[in-house]
Amino acid sequence: MEPLSWTGAFAPLVPVLWTALAAVAILALLRWIAGFFLSEGDTQTQSDGTLAVTRGPLEMLDLATWWALLAALAVVAIFVAGGAALAEGAGILGAMSRRLLPVWIALASTFALSLTFKRRLGLYGKLFDSTIGMIGFALVMFWVFAAFMGAFGLIVTHDPLGQSGAMKNELPGMPYTRMLGEVAEGSYPYYLLGGDNLGRDVFSRMIAGSWVVVQIAPMATAFAFMVGITLGLPAAYKGGRLDELLSFLANLILAFPVILLFYLLVTPEIVETGIPAYMAAVMFLFPIAFIAILLNSRYRTRPALNTPLLIAVIGGLGWVYLSLISERFGPLDILPQALDLFDIPGGILVVFVSVVFVNSPTVFRIVRGLAFDIKTRDYVAAAQTRGEGSWYIMLWEILPNARGPLIVDFCLRVGYTTILLGTLGFFGLGLPPESPDWGSTINDGRKLLAIYPHPAIVPALSLLSLVLGLNLLADGLREESLRD
Amino acid sequence: MSDTAPDRIHPAARMHAEEYRAGQIDRREFLTRATCLGVASTVAYGMIGLDAPALAQTATQDGGSLRIQMEVRALKDPRITDWPQIANIYRGWLEYLSEYQRDGSIRPMLLESWEVSDDARTYTLKLRPGITWSNGDALTAEHVAHNFRRWCDRTVEGNSMASRMGDMVDPETDQIREGVLEVVDDTTLRLNLASPDIAIIANVADYPGAVVHPSYDGSDPANGDMIGTGPFRLESHEVGVKSVLRRREDFDWWGKEAEGFGGASLDEIVYLDYGSDPAAWLAALESDEVDMLYESVGEFIEIMDSLDLVKSEAVTASTICIRANQEAEVDGQKPYADVRVRKALQMAMDNNVLLELGYSGLGVTAENHHVCPIHPDYAEVDNPVVYDPEGAMALLEEAGFADFEHELISIDDDWRKNTTDAAAALLRDAGIKVRRTVLPGNTFWNDWAKFPFSSTNWNQRPLGVQVLALAYRSGEAWNETAYASPEFDAKLAEAMGIASAEERKVVMKELEQMLIDDGVIIQPYWRSLFRHYKQGVTGAEVHPLYEIPTYQLGFAAT
Amino acid sequence: MLAFLLRRIAVMLLTALCLTFVVFFLTNLQPNLEKLAKAEGNSRMTDAEVTSFLETRGYARNVFVKYGEWLGVLPGFVIEQPDGSVRGRCFERADSVPPDAPAFCGVLQGDWGYSSVFRDDVGSIVATRLGLTAKLMFWVMVVMVPSALILGVLAGMREGSRTDRSLSTVSILSTATPEYVSGVILIAVFASSAVGLRWFKGTAASAMENATLENFLLPVVTIALYGTGYIARMTRASMAEVMTQQYIRTARLKGVRFRDIVLKHALRNALIAPFTVIMLQFPWLLNGVVIVETLFNYKGFGWTLVQAAGNNDIELLLAVSVVSVFVVLVTQLISDIGYVYLNPRISVA
Repeated sequence: MEPLSWTGAFAPLVPVLWTALAAVAILALLRWIAGFFLSEGDTQTQSDGTLAVTRGPLEMLDLATWWALLAALAVVAIFVAGGAALAEGAGILGAMSRRLLPVWIALASTFALSLTFKRRLGLYGKLFDSTIGMIGFALVMFWVFAAFMGAFGLIVTHDPLGQSGAMKNELPGMPYTRMLGEVAEGSYPYYLLGGDNLGRDVFSRMIAGSWVVVQIAPMATAFAFMVGITLGLPAAYKGGRLDELLSFLANLILAFPVILLFYLLVTPEIVETGIPAYMAAVMFLFPIAFIAILLNSRYRTRPALNTPLLIAVIGGLGWVYLSLISERFGPLDILPQALDLFDIPGGILVVFVSVVFVNSPTVFRIVRGLAFDIKTRDYVAAAQTRGEGSWYIMLWEILPNARGPLIVDFCLRVGYTTILLGTLGFFGLGLPPESPDWGSTINDGRKLLAIYPHPAIVPALSLLSLVLGLNLLADGLREESLRD
Repeated sequence: MSDTAPDRIHPAARMHAEEYRAGQIDRREFLTRATCLGVASTVAYGMIGLDAPALAQTATQDGGSLRIQMEVRALKDPRITDWPQIANIYRGWLEYLSEYQRDGSIRPMLLESWEVSDDARTYTLKLRPGITWSNGDALTAEHVAHNFRRWCDRTVEGNSMASRMGDMVDPETDQIREGVLEVVDDTTLRLNLASPDIAIIANVADYPGAVVHPSYDGSDPANGDMIGTGPFRLESHEVGVKSVLRRREDFDWWGKEAEGFGGASLDEIVYLDYGSDPAAWLAALESDEVDMLYESVGEFIEIMDSLDLVKSEAVTASTICIRANQEAEVDGQKPYADVRVRKALQMAMDNNVLLELGYSGLGVTAENHHVCPIHPDYAEVDNPVVYDPEGAMALLEEAGFADFEHELISIDDDWRKNTTDAAAALLRDAGIKVRRTVLPGNTFWNDWAKFPFSSTNWNQRPLGVQVLALAYRSGEAWNETAYASPEFDAKLAEAMGIASAEERKVVMKELEQMLIDDGVIIQPYWRSLFRHYKQGVTGAEVHPLYEIPTYQLGFAAT
Repeated sequence: MLAFLLRRIAVMLLTALCLTFVVFFLTNLQPNLEKLAKAEGNSRMTDAEVTSFLETRGYARNVFVKYGEWLGVLPGFVIEQPDGSVRGRCFERADSVPPDAPAFCGVLQGDWGYSSVFRDDVGSIVATRLGLTAKLMFWVMVVMVPSALILGVLAGMREGSRTDRSLSTVSILSTATPEYVSGVILIAVFASSAVGLRWFKGTAASAMENATLENFLLPVVTIALYGTGYIARMTRASMAEVMTQQYIRTARLKGVRFRDIVLKHALRNALIAPFTVIMLQFPWLLNGVVIVETLFNYKGFGWTLVQAAGNNDIELLLAVSVVSVFVVLVTQLISDIGYVYLNPRISVA
């Protein structure tokens, strides 16, 4: 079998793309330089009340830039859409586009639905007024869909852990062969993005790696938020000794260099002592406490509803909590095997706990700052005179009014957590060595970077695009929420 | 070489010469065996009708500074040294009784010659005359006796020479046995062993066997100017960064006059630490920051071949063992105590694949019994392991471990990690559940012998019996498999007392087959070692034991 | 002001005390001590040997006592060895306690201890390594601060303009690129034979002695990139805010040239916020330093941190944490004080 080229049948379009991109760059530069010498076209109000804009050279440049950009985007769209239709006929890009077809469909329907109903969707809908926000949202959702579908076996072409001696360090587009035995019937015929140092499929590992990130990063951030909120609100609202103590502790953790903290917490020796397991036991209590207090403060006055609700919620969450922290033969072997719902692999749990631990104090500080500001507002005073409980005020009056900055920070923080996970992988801490997560693969690939860059560059660009997406999304949200 | 040929030639050496002529052993094996029995290598070559190869005495220029890429670790008392890199630094001023050569022979160094009695129980060591320490003292037999006492002191934590001294250590006192040492005169020392041991000369050539001055108290050799017999002294030593050796001025090094030695032409040797990332080593070579590598590995060998460098290769008995610890408890059971489980793991492996993926095919496949064809006592087994993944799964089912998830542990390092990853993939191919764990170096060596299922690298030892005695005898400190077979121990003791190769081979064959049948280890391949260095560097060929004989290094005269 | 400073310093000391104890406690856990014993003794020691190693060297004692000795508030230990000689915290191994050996030798006495990995005084190691990292950081600042400020000011002076949009995208892109991604990409493009540009070196080992553009540019740029975006965004926000202020509008209406408005009126006020951000960037840069020093094989402070942590070198790790905590807290303090001085509207009561 022939190796695939990058674009296959669309090869003639490649020069078009480059020309268009070059044109965009040159025109934009020209426009920028020209901006210093030429003035913009005048706007004149005509007698009939309409505006007429004279077309100066600057406006012509603008127009040309737009057209060049549109041309480049059109070519990219052809690569994606045509690739999905032609598959391998359109080279590696085409084949990848075909594999990602479910993601394209999901993305397109999400956007179609959201754009249609955007006026009824609140802040989420407003996101679709901002180009930046939409681009960010698209990037993030691309990886979320890819991760979920990859986890259900839709997109990946090969087992991300499977090795083939014959595919070691092969370049992108090489046909799949094995050193030992025959290629199994029905297996995908190519390594689309090449093979890594151990003959594993880089494309499949990229998709599988996104699943690790999508599983851990938002969850860990959400946990950090619950810890930060549960502690930050009372610190600001009650103030005094409590505030001083909690702030001191938060600053204590923040004063630790993150890497040192990881090296102290995520080494096999510390795991052996069970410290991360105990930390998990403490930290996972916060979400239960958070939800219980949230409900209790709301329905306190209606015991008929409140009591059974609380029992059900605490019972259910408690069970999940116990199965989460109880690990067979681990330091905390509390729950009998029969009742244990699931076991989190030791490495993942440790990584999760450390990431939550590192993020919580920052969230605490943000929440505390916001709450300090909000607690002086009139509606808080009104609630106080109504005689509401302090937890009710904190959770149902202050918190909703702080949601804008918190949502923005959440997006940024998920991105930051993704970077932290990569850092852990980069130092070989925590996750198992074969793990396809992006940090570990970058670290594995960098050893042979000078000769075979593709195993490291692919996850590097993936991580870059996801974090970029989260940042753009946060920017879009910030802009739109400020317009409120 | 020694100036005077030994008066008598050990009868076993004559027998080996017969074997060589009969084609039973090859030249390399003959040389190792004969020189081990005290035959000078020129004589050994002569016995099989060959001329000793003229030592490559390319004219070297006097002076110069050579920069070598090598991990710079903290120095230790030589006898507790655990890395050849450490020894390569103190090799500048400390020397050995005998020296293991690249061709597999052992030549006398501080010794002039040795004699082994026919029953391998009496060793007569003759010191080379005229050797002085850097403080002016003359080296005497009493000094050597002092070193033997040091080596046999088992009360010192981590004394790795003690395990090499075997029966010379008294298990009661943990010191050297009474009556072993007999100082005949100033230059003659006799060892009277309780039981035969054929490996003593090879053992004292090993890197922890450096001979130290009696005044040395076991402190860090980097503190102050340590007394030695070698031509260099330690100028500076910065762990993890660099170490500098400078030639001793006003010191009359014995090697200058001794035939076959000579050299020590460099003014300065600089060891530079570039971490464990081979890409950094390549970058250092390319940007002209070093002249010579410690070792070239994996894919980088190919790239370095394309540069204007000299490549040297050594076929070795260095290897990796993927082994199960038979006593280890996992989740309350001892999975690897069952021979069927161990056999299944062995049968699921294809050693060719492990060699290709783990070490880029740069070596030869092995047969899972840790005796190498280059060992003089290697014998081919009748029933090697055959790759059979279905059979492996069937065995596991029979043993009731079909659903057991194995945790396969390795160190975080290029080829060891890759080989172990490949092994995990092969196990999965066979349908066996496996989870990989990689530990950083320091953590790994903490518990290396106790992991239930892990991979360990083993460096070459000159004789096959040495390895078996070190790693598979019941209760040995380095027995990482917890293999305890009285039958094996007895056979091994028998082999250790046989000087004759043909006889020993018969026993070795049984020993090898026992290791295979008991599924003790998966030992996939023998590594070849490679090293690249710049044109014009002399004496820098890679040594199968990673030794860098500092006195041999130099720059070719232009 | 003095009271404010004193209070801050007291909190700093308390923080440092707590943190060092946490580090001390974690590094003195049994598995970590075993790791240390094997690293320092022989990596293939038996369990019995490890136990005796730890006992004879004073490791197998109460953690509070050991911490007190490290601090210098408790006298250093003296332990008799099996062979009759003595070993102590404050002197080398000897036949009997030397008469001139001090009773206390801890941080309070200025003795930072001895590194078990590097076999050298912790104080001198940290000093050397910090010096090298300071060199790296100096060049990072030289590259990062001006480029970030220029980017931010250009973007912020006309909010919403095309220049603003494109420069903001650039800064977002750079904040989204962690050091291990940009480092890998930069090496692949500029130092690998695969792309073939080979303009720079992929290692900075030689830069420790002799830094040149060729061996130092990539590590400096790698660290600077990540921080640049962040500072630029802060500058942009602050600049944009200043440009909407009343006095700027007045100046514009008066017909002052735009360039003069930006340079003479807006800039000073716009730089207050970035100043505090730059100060607070220091602790974050430490992260980048560790990654980049590992990636480029530059043996500075970050590399020392990795070595100390990886080998459980207790006293070195403690010194490293003290230094980093100190850097974090001092930069916070400077940022607070600087903020007060630069901003006429705030005063410390």
